[in-house]
Amino acid sequence: MTETISYNVLQVLFIMGFAPLYAGVLSRLKEIVQSRRGPSIFQSYRDIWKLFHKDQILSEETTWIYRLTPYLVFVIPIFVAILIPVLTDFPLVFAFMGDMLAGGFFLGLGGFFAALAAVDTGNPYGPMGASRTRMVGFLAEPVFMIVFFTVSFVAQSTIPYIVQQKWVASPGAFFSPAHILLLIAFLMLILAEGGKIPVDNPTGHFELAMIDESKGLEFSGRDAALMKWGGQMKFLILTCIFLNVLVAPWGLAHAQPAIGLLIAVPLILFKILLFAIALVVIETSLAKLRLFRISEFLGAAFITSVAAMITSIFPGA
Amino acid sequence: MALTAVVAIPLVAALLCWLAPLRKFAWVITLISTWTVLPLAVLVSAEVLSKGRVIGLPGWIEADAFGALVLTLVSFVAALASVFAGGYMRRREHEHSRLWWFYCNYNLFAFALLSVPVLTEPNLVWVGVELITLFAVLLVGFEKTNGALEAAWKYAILTMMGAPISLLGFFALFWAYRSAGGGIPETWEGLRMLGPSMDPNLLKLSFLLVFVGFGAKSGLAPVHTWLPDAHSQAPSPVCAVLSGVKTTVPLYAILRLLSIVLASPAARVGNWMIVLGLISVGIAAFLLLQVRDYKRMFAYSTVEHMGIILTAAGFATRGSDFGAVSQMLNHAITKSLCFYVAGIILLALSTREINSVHGLFRVSPFAGSALVLCSLAIAGAPPFPIFLSEYAILSAGVRAEQHAAVAILAVLIVIAFVAILWHVNRMVFGKPTIPYSVESLPVSCRLAVILAAAPVVLLGVYIPVPVHNLLQLAAQQLGGHGP
Amino acid sequence: MADPQTSIPEALNTLCAGLVLISAFAMVATRQVQGVVRFFVIQSLLLSASCFLLGYSRNSRHLWTLGAITVAAKVIAIPWILRRLLPGEFYERREISQAVNIPASLLISLFLAILAEFLVGPVAAANTDPLIRINLPIGLAGVLIGAYSLIARREAIPQLVGILAMENGAFFAGIAIANELPLIAELGVALGVMLIVVVIGLLSRNIRLKLGTTEAGTLSELKEEATSWR
Repeated sequence: MTETISYNVLQVLFIMGFAPLYAGVLSRLKEIVQSRRGPSIFQSYRDIWKLFHKDQILSEETTWIYRLTPYLVFVIPIFVAILIPVLTDFPLVFAFMGDMLAGGFFLGLGGFFAALAAVDTGNPYGPMGASRTRMVGFLAEPVFMIVFFTVSFVAQSTIPYIVQQKWVASPGAFFSPAHILLLIAFLMLILAEGGKIPVDNPTGHFELAMIDESKGLEFSGRDAALMKWGGQMKFLILTCIFLNVLVAPWGLAHAQPAIGLLIAVPLILFKILLFAIALVVIETSLAKLRLFRISEFLGAAFITSVAAMITSIFPGA
Repeated sequence: MALTAVVAIPLVAALLCWLAPLRKFAWVITLISTWTVLPLAVLVSAEVLSKGRVIGLPGWIEADAFGALVLTLVSFVAALASVFAGGYMRRREHEHSRLWWFYCNYNLFAFALLSVPVLTEPNLVWVGVELITLFAVLLVGFEKTNGALEAAWKYAILTMMGAPISLLGFFALFWAYRSAGGGIPETWEGLRMLGPSMDPNLLKLSFLLVFVGFGAKSGLAPVHTWLPDAHSQAPSPVCAVLSGVKTTVPLYAILRLLSIVLASPAARVGNWMIVLGLISVGIAAFLLLQVRDYKRMFAYSTVEHMGIILTAAGFATRGSDFGAVSQMLNHAITKSLCFYVAGIILLALSTREINSVHGLFRVSPFAGSALVLCSLAIAGAPPFPIFLSEYAILSAGVRAEQHAAVAILAVLIVIAFVAILWHVNRMVFGKPTIPYSVESLPVSCRLAVILAAAPVVLLGVYIPVPVHNLLQLAAQQLGGHGP
Repeated sequence: MADPQTSIPEALNTLCAGLVLISAFAMVATRQVQGVVRFFVIQSLLLSASCFLLGYSRNSRHLWTLGAITVAAKVIAIPWILRRLLPGEFYERREISQAVNIPASLLISLFLAILAEFLVGPVAAANTDPLIRINLPIGLAGVLIGAYSLIARREAIPQLVGILAMENGAFFAGIAIANELPLIAELGVALGVMLIVVVIGLLSRNIRLKLGTTEAGTLSELKEEATSWR
């Protein structure tokens, strides 16, 4: 019992610890692809450290929402991390506390409060970005729902661990059109939710064009550090769901001993590195979509996910 | 032997038309080829009457009664149209150097039309029908005016859209054939024999797909919209062939498939056919009331008659099948006559508008009387053959207890009758407004009209026994049961 | 779900099926002529890959030749013909004019795909062959989506590619039974496809020469209007 609780703790520490590294690796790779040198991959750690030591300035116009949000944004990904397979492929103690739907709701909750906090300050750029984020979010909701339904229907369960076991068991299942279509749909979803190109430019500084970055604009000091770190953790969570549940559940620890877990850590990191390379290739080869084209992008994701549902439910039923 | 020659001769003629030194004689070559094909086709029909089946290339080209009937129709219309085309094209087409292309195309078109009724493999029938469409598109767009190009474009898109759908239908048919075990080679005959043991769902799916795919080519509503445009813009001999036989041939293929589907008791499609046929007739009848162009008028009449044939086949009794087959025959000969007449009116007055044509009888007695004759014939007045076949269909419908359908059909036929005659009335009588053009009508056109009018007048009063027997045999192929 | 005993080629075939469906959607969703042709080429490649996979798993030389014919005709010859006949159209970089905007088009195509599954439902339920369950509905969906893209677009090349995409769909459904079809039928079909392309290409070229564009909205001379009852 204590073992599995400690595994959960290890899982959470993994997510917390490696999220800034993931973000750092992504930006470094992107810079390298563009023939520049780029910042060190540990720069995000230094940034967060710096921010924690800075003064905090709170506007007088803000309410408790503004003060609560950074903590929420920080804690929610940690909470979701307990629910998904990060290092192990057998369910851990808290795995049955909530299923994928719960995970989705929590991430949505975080996004909701972030948007509210952006509006709370009264700065004109905040609500603009917040409304755009909400638009992307609400267009992405159906995609997430359909992906979730299809996956659960096929695996006959909604717990991510069990889904992962059933789904990628055999080559027949792996290459089934439903699976591949779901991969494509979920990848598009990650790009949208994580604020990557083609939906949004994460390195842009132009407030008028920001979608996802705008949520962290108004915060300073410790709040800013929490928002930044929370955002990075959220993206790492999404990547873990994508990789460990849907795409490539290899490298996860099979059995109980702690050694297995520790070996799993570099394997998972390696997998995430491969995905980061793929992500960087996608980002640098596409252009950012105009705002009204985002609905087409997410519409295509929706279509793909429904096509996955059709091909999995109808013939096999 | 005769059968293979029937199919091969137009192909050879097309090749000859294409060869440079012979291009000036393209019309003569076409005349020779079509007028050789016609007696050969009649010979084939006679053989079918005596032997039941004629075999050209065993397994590939065979003719039974239905096929022989359609073959004869096609060759008759093609022959007369080529006579008509001589004078007409020379008058209308200003670049005489392009005419060889027209005749080359025309021969290829005839080749494709002649091959479909005698091919035994359904998949090859698909290829044949597509070839028909392709050559027809080239012919429709021949005059290269804006209107002609638009008509050809619409025609191409609407009918070729049906191509993959019907292809899928034929694949499904093959699937059904395999589900029944196969063994017999896949020909129309073989499929009919296997009918009862084929999967009814696959059969229904196949029929639906083929109907949608080929229905567009036959001018069935709601995808008939290309028909009026194509007919008003194409040269008149082409229209004659288009309306007379080219819309009939895909319908022939649909009816063949229907006979297979009816052989399987689990698949019931008759009522659908009746409904769709009535829709076609209805749309055509109402559009006839407001048509402005007399060639379009005849085109809508084609849609109407295709709908009538479909409804008749939907009644699925032996009497209605006989009606359907004789309607095919009568429509082919009458409609081609109508388009020859339309052609000579166009030559004389150079306008297609009904409103611009008055007093045709005074302007050209020949054209006027021909117009009156053919419009009475196509509208279904006695003593013309279409009246007889429509009567046969209606009475068969009453015997089959489809009273509602018969009533609606009768009303729609009357509406169409009134519409056509009203338009023609305005055209033929009254004072002429447009001065007559100085040249008189070409001899070949007059000859074609007289030759085409002869069977129309004849078959209305007397059906020769061989023709009647051929129709009976062909009707049996359609597979209806009951009176 | 595919049962675990399916062999690798058959599993890959179902993958091709899924991707064919995606490429059909993609053809509806693209804005440029070159994009449409590119996705058509991808779809034809997937179709021939499916032929090769099935030919390998069923040891049918017939399917191998069919795959080769598809590659030669649709992947190589047809884009080449299009580029030669209609260079102006092909390389234009403006948006295709459409009757329905793209998200709505995507939703309609989705609805058509579901419709295809329903139509094939009773057939698929009675059959245990996994190929009929996958190829037939997706083939029919490809046909319907191609027909829709034909209707929604207003220009020559996208409409032509729509017809060819329908052909792809019909073929995809047909290859599951193809190893018993006579080869001459296949050759006839391939020839038919080429002829379709040539004819429509020639027609489009004439239209473009006459009107300056092949946007079919400009072809509207022939219409039926109600006349007064005089």
